[in-house]
Amino acid sequence: MRKTNLSLIIAVITISLFGLLMIYSASYVWAEYKFDDPFKYVKNQGMFLIIGIILMLLVSKIPFEKYYKYSSKIFAVCFILLILVLFFGTERNGSKSWFGIGSFGIQPSEFMKLAMIIFTSKYLYNNRKDLGNIKKGVLPILGVTLIIFALIMLQPDFGTGVILVMGVIGLLFIGGVDIKFFLKIGLLGIIGIVLLILAAPYRLKRILSFLNPWEDPLGSGFQIIQSLYAIGPGGLFGFGLGESRQKHFYLPEPQTDFIFSIISEEFGFLGVIIVSLLFITIIYLGIKIALKSNNLFGKYLAFGIVFSLGFQALLNLMVVVGLIPVTGVTLPFLSYGGSSLLITLVSIGIVLNVNRRE
Amino acid sequence: MKLILVIIAVIFLVIIGKVFYIQVIEYDKLNKSASNLWSRNLPIKADRGIIYDRNGVVLADNVTTTSLVLIPNQIEDKEDTAKKLAEILGVTTEEMLEHANKKTSIERVHPEGRRLSYEVADKIKDLDLPGVYLVKESQRYYPFDTYMSHTLGFVGIDNQGLSGLELMYDDYLTGEDGAIKYYSDAKGNKLELSEVYEQPQSGMNITLTINHEIQESVERELDNAVTKFNPDQALAIVMDPNSGEILAMSSRPNYSPSNYTKYTTEKINRNLPIWATYEPGSTFKIITLAASLEEGTVDLAKDNYYDSGSIKVENATIHCWKHGGHGEETFMQVVENSCNPGFVVLGQRLGKNKLFSYINKFGFGTKTGIDLNGESTGIIFPLDKVGPVELATTAFGQGVSVTPIQQVTTVSAAVNGGILYKPYIVKSINEPETNTVIKETKKTVVRKVISEKTSEKVRDALEHVVAYGSGRTSYIEGYRVGGKTGTAQKVENGRYLDNNYILSFIGVMPANDPEVVVYVAIDNPKGVVQYGGVTVGPIAKNILTDCISALGIEKQEGGLVKKASYTDAKTAKVTDVTGMTVSEAKKALSKFNVDVEGSGDKVTYQSPEAGTTLEEGETIRIFTS
Repeated sequence: MRKTNLSLIIAVITISLFGLLMIYSASYVWAEYKFDDPFKYVKNQGMFLIIGIILMLLVSKIPFEKYYKYSSKIFAVCFILLILVLFFGTERNGSKSWFGIGSFGIQPSEFMKLAMIIFTSKYLYNNRKDLGNIKKGVLPILGVTLIIFALIMLQPDFGTGVILVMGVIGLLFIGGVDIKFFLKIGLLGIIGIVLLILAAPYRLKRILSFLNPWEDPLGSGFQIIQSLYAIGPGGLFGFGLGESRQKHFYLPEPQTDFIFSIISEEFGFLGVIIVSLLFITIIYLGIKIALKSNNLFGKYLAFGIVFSLGFQALLNLMVVVGLIPVTGVTLPFLSYGGSSLLITLVSIGIVLNVNRRE
Repeated sequence: MKLILVIIAVIFLVIIGKVFYIQVIEYDKLNKSASNLWSRNLPIKADRGIIYDRNGVVLADNVTTTSLVLIPNQIEDKEDTAKKLAEILGVTTEEMLEHANKKTSIERVHPEGRRLSYEVADKIKDLDLPGVYLVKESQRYYPFDTYMSHTLGFVGIDNQGLSGLELMYDDYLTGEDGAIKYYSDAKGNKLELSEVYEQPQSGMNITLTINHEIQESVERELDNAVTKFNPDQALAIVMDPNSGEILAMSSRPNYSPSNYTKYTTEKINRNLPIWATYEPGSTFKIITLAASLEEGTVDLAKDNYYDSGSIKVENATIHCWKHGGHGEETFMQVVENSCNPGFVVLGQRLGKNKLFSYINKFGFGTKTGIDLNGESTGIIFPLDKVGPVELATTAFGQGVSVTPIQQVTTVSAAVNGGILYKPYIVKSINEPETNTVIKETKKTVVRKVISEKTSEKVRDALEHVVAYGSGRTSYIEGYRVGGKTGTAQKVENGRYLDNNYILSFIGVMPANDPEVVVYVAIDNPKGVVQYGGVTVGPIAKNILTDCISALGIEKQEGGLVKKASYTDAKTAKVTDVTGMTVSEAKKALSKFNVDVEGSGDKVTYQSPEAGTTLEEGETIRIFTS
């Protein structure tokens, strides 16, 4: 048990430190241009990383049963914050997702992601007998999820919303909800998309546009082309640390969503393999902890956290390499963003505790 | 849960696979476009290929000039930079500011900032302003300026071939521009990454068949002709009859290729030696002569003709140029005298089918196919339109329209043993670094027209013309010149113009084994006898004389000796006056103009030396002590 935890802590700290290094490398050009301080972003992130690691270790000591007890309160606080941010939040890049405190920002939707997992885990645990009944067991929690999704979409923040919904669906699947139900939802979704496309055929073109970004190189294809221009020339071993060309104003805000492109450019295919292995290790260890857990709530909690994290990572990577359209999702541990890093580390702390309590 | 772990792992593999695809399979494509995105080029103009004469004399060269290039994004203080540059270049500050503010990666200041003088370039260099660069550019340079301008052609400001050989061989002559590549960020600032120097590739060099020495002679003679006669046009071609190689060609009016914008397009585009078409006049008689000899319809020495001064053909009367006619003469004398009625008879003996088949075989009415732009075809009567009158006039060169290059090519065939060659001017194209031959022109036989024996008779007849007949002004002692004069009345709108002639001469040397054919034509010379032999003959003689040294033609015995005529100046032999007193010497040389050098009384040396034949009245210098 201890060995698993130690491995997880090492993997998480390794990937976070690497992330910090890459945030510096990716951001110093923009940081100097915008703030006259090349260390601007890396200083912020570094502070959050230190706080995050301390929090992670602290949280790992807090018995996870406490979350069962305070689940509704945590959820309620996050819910209120989510509503408040719509009124009092500061707008950045066209979405009202942040409470600005000085130069820092707090992102309630990030907190809600964790709150939702806690809430759903408890719900599944309490209603485990009713999960066979779709109406009674599944629809209520789906309803709550959709309300939260709608709130997040009001900001709007499609990426975070999708991750939140997927976290719940993943948990429902593990909770034993009939697989046919997911197939039905999937089918409904496909029918819906087909209808939308039939109603307005241009949508198909827009959806497929990510497959050929060169059709609109200055519009919808811009980010993905710039990303490919970073990844491609990286080749097998990359240009070396700090040697990215694309970060010189070609790729907008390279320290956030597209940091993986800069990693590919500077460390090449080798860097991609190493980052992927670190992620797979973390997910593997997390799921291993969930599997081993004898406490059903703990099992759900650990799985929900790890699944959500893994899904977010995959979503980001698929966007960056051009497999799916741009959705605006950050890469856990690596992308710049205080709230995100803090919550991710706290979540890992919870997972660590699930393992420690065995 | 295990299922989900597997799914996540699989998606990771897909992502890694896609990255592999991007970084390895699409690497070249992406890397290339990304490099284009990152790098900015400071272009370096490539040298154009050099054009040489056959002996390596440079006819079209390159000089390096400096040009100003701005990179607007790197200019820190646009106002100040624009002001300083405007001052140096002598343009308005507003204009410079417009260049400095252009939303482009590299801005050329055209044309004020191009081809800068050293002083201006130095001043700009001394400013040492960011975003202001000086780049080397290659510029075409014609060392002999107007020399052969129509044939060489010229280039535009971007070194692109616009006319002549420069245009025709532009693909070969154009090099590949190089560049200094540096990396820049998306805002245009220079990055501290290494610069790449891409060396420009020079264009291919072209070697012509032109002989610079002869070409210079042609240019000089045409210039003299223009000064003396103020003609409408003038042209000359020199050909090696044994291959079709052009040794020299030029025409007047000509132009300066570096200032081509100052001339009319007609002046620039008309390469007269291949473009002009006109009635050849008597030079065309060589064809009738060659055909008659080949067909055996005349024996020049034995057959006689009585020229009464005119001949009746159907209802037309054709006059000889000599009023009253030449009287009784052999056909050799018909040729020597260029007697029109005599040639009418030769034409009639051949008949229209034979005469016109030779005209076709010699290549009239079709382009010679010389490797130059702008060649004309000329006009020959279609056979079914040829009646007795057309046959008669064609026989002595009227009513046909030919180009100078056709005449030179044809006469070359008539004297070289009967082989018609395709004329050419580009000898070879070479790669500049290794000098590897990319393309080489070999002589091309078009067809055999007449036999070697006939050709020999033609040569003999032409030598007679120069020694005894109308071509005497081109006679060079000891070098056996053959030739034929021509005087053609110009036609405009279907009518002959009064007192407006193209005078020409075609010469062959040595007549027994020709090494060179020279053709000179002067269009409408003013203030001279309108007769080819008088005006053009001496010009051709001067060019032929220069060919002797240029080609190393050896002096030989056994040529025909020139017959004096009333038009010739009298000649006398110079006697030896060394050792005489000045007054004695002057008496001995009374037929000449004596120029005394020195203040002594005894003649120690004389030039030219004793025994030389000189025209009376020429100057002899004597040196005294």
